[in-house]
Amino acid sequence: MVVLRLTRQRLLPSPACVLLALSLLVGHLGCHPAPPEDKSLRLVFKHPRLLSHEEPLQALLNQFRAAHPALQLDEEILPSSSDQQHLFYVTNLEAGATDFDVFALDVIWIPEFARAGWLQDVTAMLGSAELTDSIPGPVTAATHAGRIYAIPWFLDGGVLYYRRDLLDKYGLTLPHTWSEVRTAIQVVLQHEANPRLTGFVWQGKQYEGLVCVALEFLRAYGGDVFTDQGEVQLTQPTAVAGLQALRSLIADHLSPTVVTTADEEIAQHIFGRGEAIFMRNWPYAWRLLNAQDSPVRGRIGVTAIPGSNAHVGVPTLGGWHLGINRLSRQPELAWQFVAFLTSAESQRQLAIASGLQPTHLSVYADPQVQQADPSLLLFFPLLQRAQPRPVTPFYLMLSQVLQSEFSAAITGLKSAEVALQDAERQMTRILALEQKETTRALTTGD
Amino acid sequence: MHSRQVTEHPVLFILPALGLMLLVALYPLAATSWLSLRDEFPIFHISRFVGLSHYVTLWHDPRFWQSLTNTGYFAVVSVASEVLLGLGAALLLHQLFPARGLVRALVLMPWFIPTVVAARAWEWIYHPHIGVLNFLLLQSGLTTTEINWLGHPFLALHAAIIADVWKTMPFATLLLLAGLQTIPSDLYRAARVDGATGLQAFWHITLPWLIPVLSVTVVFRMLDALRVFDIVYVLTGGGPANTTETLSIYAYRLSFQTLEFGYGAALAVVTFVIILFASLLLQFLLRRVGTTT
Amino acid sequence: MERQVNPQWSQWIGYSIRMLLFVTGLGLVLSFCLLPVLWQLVTALKPTAELVTLPPLLPTVPTLDHFRSVFMDRPFARILFNSTGVALLTTLVCLVLGTPAAFALAKLRVPGQRLILLSILAVSMFPPIAIVGSLFLLIRLLHLRDTWWALILADATFALPLTIWVMTSFLRDIPDDLLRAARVDGCTTLQALLYVFLPVVAPGLTTAVLLTFVFTWNEFLFALTFTATDAARTVPVEIALFPGLHEVPWGEMAAAAMLVTVPLLILMLVAQRHIVAGLTAGAVKG
Repeated sequence: MVVLRLTRQRLLPSPACVLLALSLLVGHLGCHPAPPEDKSLRLVFKHPRLLSHEEPLQALLNQFRAAHPALQLDEEILPSSSDQQHLFYVTNLEAGATDFDVFALDVIWIPEFARAGWLQDVTAMLGSAELTDSIPGPVTAATHAGRIYAIPWFLDGGVLYYRRDLLDKYGLTLPHTWSEVRTAIQVVLQHEANPRLTGFVWQGKQYEGLVCVALEFLRAYGGDVFTDQGEVQLTQPTAVAGLQALRSLIADHLSPTVVTTADEEIAQHIFGRGEAIFMRNWPYAWRLLNAQDSPVRGRIGVTAIPGSNAHVGVPTLGGWHLGINRLSRQPELAWQFVAFLTSAESQRQLAIASGLQPTHLSVYADPQVQQADPSLLLFFPLLQRAQPRPVTPFYLMLSQVLQSEFSAAITGLKSAEVALQDAERQMTRILALEQKETTRALTTGD
Repeated sequence: MHSRQVTEHPVLFILPALGLMLLVALYPLAATSWLSLRDEFPIFHISRFVGLSHYVTLWHDPRFWQSLTNTGYFAVVSVASEVLLGLGAALLLHQLFPARGLVRALVLMPWFIPTVVAARAWEWIYHPHIGVLNFLLLQSGLTTTEINWLGHPFLALHAAIIADVWKTMPFATLLLLAGLQTIPSDLYRAARVDGATGLQAFWHITLPWLIPVLSVTVVFRMLDALRVFDIVYVLTGGGPANTTETLSIYAYRLSFQTLEFGYGAALAVVTFVIILFASLLLQFLLRRVGTTT
Repeated sequence: MERQVNPQWSQWIGYSIRMLLFVTGLGLVLSFCLLPVLWQLVTALKPTAELVTLPPLLPTVPTLDHFRSVFMDRPFARILFNSTGVALLTTLVCLVLGTPAAFALAKLRVPGQRLILLSILAVSMFPPIAIVGSLFLLIRLLHLRDTWWALILADATFALPLTIWVMTSFLRDIPDDLLRAARVDGCTTLQALLYVFLPVVAPGLTTAVLLTFVFTWNEFLFALTFTATDAARTVPVEIALFPGLHEVPWGEMAAAAMLVTVPLLILMLVAQRHIVAGLTAGAVKG
């Protein structure tokens, strides 16, 4: 019986033949990518998709290409998730990649990358004229051991959005402190019939955005992560008061519980549907909230991040810089490219077209820019006091600790005091590591 | 007897597969293990041998134990649900009914969607404000407020489990269905002649035959569940307050966010050892179940 | 005599109950699996303005804008080509390497069999996130960055354990006499594998093909790390590139998700027929 069956079998089952043929065909087609253009010089620019429309950036890149005909300028896009970009850069730069020359950096990565030796020292690119024209915050954030390692490209900072129509309706003035915000919310919620209306939405998910918000509260009450001498001061009464103020927003139902999972997009949706009185977010939301089909178009305003009775508010600085790979094969061209893309003129073009906040003071003073996008001037004074998060190479280590502890505090798993105590203990351990290494290096002569 | 030809040697059958795995997998696995014995801090320019100190630190690290608990709970609940649901679905799909082929293909759809896309889709569903889940719950009157699916310490892990079960149940269904199809129908005919009920046939014929495929399904699903990363990370990022942080997410944080490469590698090795023991234990238990039925 | 009263009734009721349970069960399974997918489809068809409002549940004016945007604003066709190619080749590699290995481990006497199987399994026990860094170094060493082969090598290596284990478990079920009979008929071991065993174990083979294909199709981490341009980028990474800095285009992502699952659905429908064909063509038992 088996013999009969054997002779009836074909060589291979036919679907497998099809699979094989198809694979070989597709493989042949796909494994030969288009041959690169025959240009000896190549510059690669890696960046996330920062703008919803790419034309303004493309126009600038084409300008650079026109000015350097022998150069092939390629851009490679990365996901917008800051984490995924960080993963990519760490994997590649640690492996000594030379595949890309210029890349966009989140402001918090700069000291870390600089210390690891992955960034080119670009202090010389910012001469005295440039420095006086630059907003100081972003430059400070890019400084490590007295040298500058990335050039500011876009500025970002926390601002408070509010419903102008609701505040006007109840005769409320613009709040300058968080207690005034609380009072305003209580008044409006008491009298407004809309059950879906909430008080204040902000980013409370366990991620970097939470640290930005929490720092604004800590600093509003005079607290901070480090003293001027670089010691951890999280357990000071001022810091505890700040974190408690944040926690109490949820506990007192002035913020909906969903803020514990909210990022920028969720907060913007809630506010954009008219279901929040206040929102803490970045300037990018202004354009979206004032778009044609937005329910809150024309009914909102922005003001500076509030402080407390004793302290003025301090928005957290965000933003993007451009850095040069220290192992770049085209250092001079990379330098020229960065200088070009971060120049006042380039920032002017990008600001007019897409509303990203420039870092050159002269751009804000340009009447053409003011006419094209008045919102830029709207945000300019609000971001004057913006301060960066701790500028240290191990900021990301510290941020991991802060994210966990802040999240524990606002979800009620720990009290503000205990959360800050735990955070301080962990941060001290991390800092001790650094001090141990510095001493070791000094004694062993590394 | 047969002449010993070259094609008779069994090792040659295995060599190509082993060769590929040695070439590609050995170096990373060895490198990570070696890295776990070192302090590698690029931002401190430290690179030195520290022996087992990372493992000692790990033992005393509360965050490690929390992530281990999270991962263990996630894996056990998730795999148990997937396999049970998958078995039920496979039994249903094994019956003859019109358009059976189409229904089978449709049931596999969750598995076809890339994990990161599926995670985004569920994030969209769990969205506290514009998510369809809260909308339906509110409309039907089952709840009166929006539920904070991904922001509540207890709910978040279960929300992730549901999304994972949805995504991977088809995998179990596929394997178990293929297993069901290898059971010879004469066995059932003989059982019916002997007067066995459907349930008895299931217990004494179906299950024992399925034990091998069930083993493969459970072991591989457990391997995947203990290493889960994408779906949880996209949904919650490990929060709130690290209540959904799994071993892989913690390893990711250590290696790629805080750049503590040595410590992160030690965590990876410990994860590997845990998975190794879990799979050995599972196989042992399943073999015992197989011999007793 | 009394037991014979209304035997047809009790049979009919029993049948109806079983039918009802069956239909309910099937309905529940289908709902559980398909409702989120359908919701993605609805999201893909909703105009952007309606995406962020509920009600309405269904789009008032369904639109194909999101689908159009997926192809127009991005090199999605090329990306689909990349994904398909990488998945096909990876599956081929896994089949060609994995099936003989599984056969040897299941039917031939191999020294240290259990240890070998365990070591093969051990390859899939390391968290991918932990090895991506060193694997990337290897890829760079072989100058394979941003090529299909980087992904094929990585994916095939990590999909092989599952392929081998699945095939081994199916091959084990086949009685050893078959190999003896085949040898008696004059086959070499290789011929026995190809002409006798493979047709019989078609369900297992098809399962392994599907598992590998879908695994590679959905793989994200390696694709993100090893690719840089649309020369080799696959679908999951491309979809990860959809969101802007703070904006998530839910509509486009849902449309892309739909576009990505359709080829797999077709593949599954085609594979179905082969599972059935395999069963009716090569049954040896009895």
